Amino acid sequence: MLSIRTKESIKTALAMTIAYGIALSMEWDKPMWAGFAVAFVSLSTVGQSINKAALRVLGTLVAVVVALALIALFAQDRWLFILSVTAWVGLCTYLMSGPKYQYFWNVCGFVVVIITMGAGADSANAFNVAMLRAQETGLGILVYGLVSVLIWPSNSRSDFEAAVVKLAATQHQLYRVYYDLMNGKGDVANVQALRSSALQAQTRFNQLLASAQTDSYEVWELRRQWRRYQGLVSELAEVLEHWRESFDELQALDLHSQLPNLTAFNAEMDRRFDQIERMLGNQAPEWEPAAMDLDLDKTALAQLSHFHKAALAVTRSRANRLESLTRSLFDSISDIKGFAQVDSAAAELADSKGGFILDPERMLSAFRIVLILWIAWLLLVYVEGIPGGSLLVMMAAPIGMAVTTMPQVPLFKLFVPAVVSVLFAGLVYIFVMPQLSSFFGLGILLFAVTFTICYLFASPQQMLGRVFGLAFFVVIISVDNQQSYNFLTVANTAMVFTLLFSIFAINAYIPYSPLPERVFLRLLARFFSSAEYLISTLGQDPRRPLTPGERRHKRFHAREVGLLPGKLGLWGKMIDQRLFPDTDAKQIQALVTNLQALSYRINGVIEARGLPLSDAMAQELTQDMRQWRLAIDAFLQRCSAQPSAEPVQALEQRLAQRLSQLEARINESFERIGEDRLNNEEVQNFYRLLGGFRGVSEALVGYARLSAAMNLAQWRESRF
Amino acid sequence: MFDYVPSEISIGGIYFPPLLLAGILGVVLAWLTAMVLNRYRLSRFFAYPPVVFIALAIIYTGLIGTLLIPV
Repeated sequence: MLSIRTKESIKTALAMTIAYGIALSMEWDKPMWAGFAVAFVSLSTVGQSINKAALRVLGTLVAVVVALALIALFAQDRWLFILSVTAWVGLCTYLMSGPKYQYFWNVCGFVVVIITMGAGADSANAFNVAMLRAQETGLGILVYGLVSVLIWPSNSRSDFEAAVVKLAATQHQLYRVYYDLMNGKGDVANVQALRSSALQAQTRFNQLLASAQTDSYEVWELRRQWRRYQGLVSELAEVLEHWRESFDELQALDLHSQLPNLTAFNAEMDRRFDQIERMLGNQAPEWEPAAMDLDLDKTALAQLSHFHKAALAVTRSRANRLESLTRSLFDSISDIKGFAQVDSAAAELADSKGGFILDPERMLSAFRIVLILWIAWLLLVYVEGIPGGSLLVMMAAPIGMAVTTMPQVPLFKLFVPAVVSVLFAGLVYIFVMPQLSSFFGLGILLFAVTFTICYLFASPQQMLGRVFGLAFFVVIISVDNQQSYNFLTVANTAMVFTLLFSIFAINAYIPYSPLPERVFLRLLARFFSSAEYLISTLGQDPRRPLTPGERRHKRFHAREVGLLPGKLGLWGKMIDQRLFPDTDAKQIQALVTNLQALSYRINGVIEARGLPLSDAMAQELTQDMRQWRLAIDAFLQRCSAQPSAEPVQALEQRLAQRLSQLEARINESFERIGEDRLNNEEVQNFYRLLGGFRGVSEALVGYARLSAAMNLAQWRESRF
Repeated sequence: MFDYVPSEISIGGIYFPPLLLAGILGVVLAWLTAMVLNRYRLSRFFAYPPVVFIALAIIYTGLIGTLLIPV
């Protein structure tokens, strides 16, 4: 019995051989383009491969039209021509690092460069090159599609269903652990591992949904319901994190006396998760969930300080959100599994789109690819006899797009597989290829090499080795009907890649250093700068409508604060521990977790600020809240100017002092206004705002404590 | 003092320019120097290490081209 790895390798190798065979028998030039299509679309399931193939074909077709249009418009002026080509590739690189159709934009970008450079600004030649590229890409995809459908077809449905079950189970487990944490029990060490496994399960679910929709009719038929479920699941992950971030301030409380139905609430949640898992196992639910609220016991509440009431108000609002979300999840799964009907149109999630927001990282990638192409182009124009000629620009586009959109991958990690692949392909080209005299021999060679590369680099982590191995092999052997052999082919290709990597290495330093610790500090400063902006908006009257510019600005900074902790986590892992022995990986991880908490809390305080407050309370406490906000603002400003240690003890003292002052002020205000005269909802909203401010301050003190223990000054030192 | 006669280097009958070899060795030596400087935290005394790396690679290539492999 053959393993999946062997079967997949055989399928790719067979498709590669057949694609070459057809292209050669049709006397097409550059049959390697068909080989490329096979090499790049082959993925583990039919659905995944067909999705990628469709993106490649569509991308190629769009690129053909764009390339021909650019040649038609600017063939007479090479500077305008390269300006338009690089602008297009820059745009595609920006869109490629977005959330949707990444591969489509990738192909749209680099195929334009390949066609325009291959054609050499000659419109007749351009048309032939463009058609050839399109037909050979189509051939490669068609052959791979047929091979993958006819030989050992592997459907994503079972994998997808397993991924759904795994995700539901992990989120259930995460809920249980968080509930224990709220009650001061749980194991904190276990949480990190569970969170990353939940994240992995969610990523896998997202990937498999796209492919299962393509290769399984049953999933395709329910695609709207599955997408709704996908939205709910990702919202659940977010709400669980928000909920957890509100626990620190609750530790001194006896929650079961303030929240009398907490046990019942937990039992209900647990049961809902159980029932969801039961339905995923194709068993009808034993019971229907009913809406419930986490109640507050007014007598027990009266004995608490205002800040404890505030912490409770924040946690309660999160728990209630969790309740409505799990109910929707239950309904969604019972609809998918056919146990109940939900009006899908009414249940559609609110559209989160709100217009275009510029992403600085994606802009940087676009800027860098434009620069890379310009350097390669200027070398081609001004350096006579540059190795490879136009191949330098042609290869700069696909590899450059990959390099600039994955800045956290060190160039060295790409250079080594590239060198090994060139050497291997060179040896095959020099020593084996000249011995072959017919397609029989060539076919065996193509099959054997493709199989070996796919088999040796089968896991997703080895994708880079596989891509480089197949791409260099196909480029260097440059199979043609009139095959000729020249050592210069190998030597020139090797030189092209050396030149390209030199360009990438120089480019990586423009405009910022690519060293992970420097990037970390830069992103940290940006995080604080955006956080500072968001906090400063709390001073505005929430009833005043925002101008379009203000709204855009606010959304930009809210997005930055939401996304930057994740990016910081990614860069934090890349920091070389040997060079910075004073700071270990755990400290960096703790700092990133703290920033994530800060991000959630800023979100929470902004949300609470939008809720209606009683005018009397607002008048009484405006000055105090303003002072607090300004203090947070000033701290964030200092952090964004230089993200390093602040004296922790002084901060802790100031916070404790502010809390006790405010406690007294709130008491006075409530006495003056008369607590009975206040609307209960407005009081809860006020407590949520108060809890939000406290949460942000506590997270900032936590940041100061963590950063003081790290040697961030050392990260600022210059190094190679 | 030195017999300064540049000659191509033959590897398996293929002739390579001496500058290529000197350049490769220059970059490798610059890279090793950078590693050592990083290891002992001496690179913090440079204002902009990437340019220093290029300068070192050129200096080493020049030295190798003058002393070891005539280019």
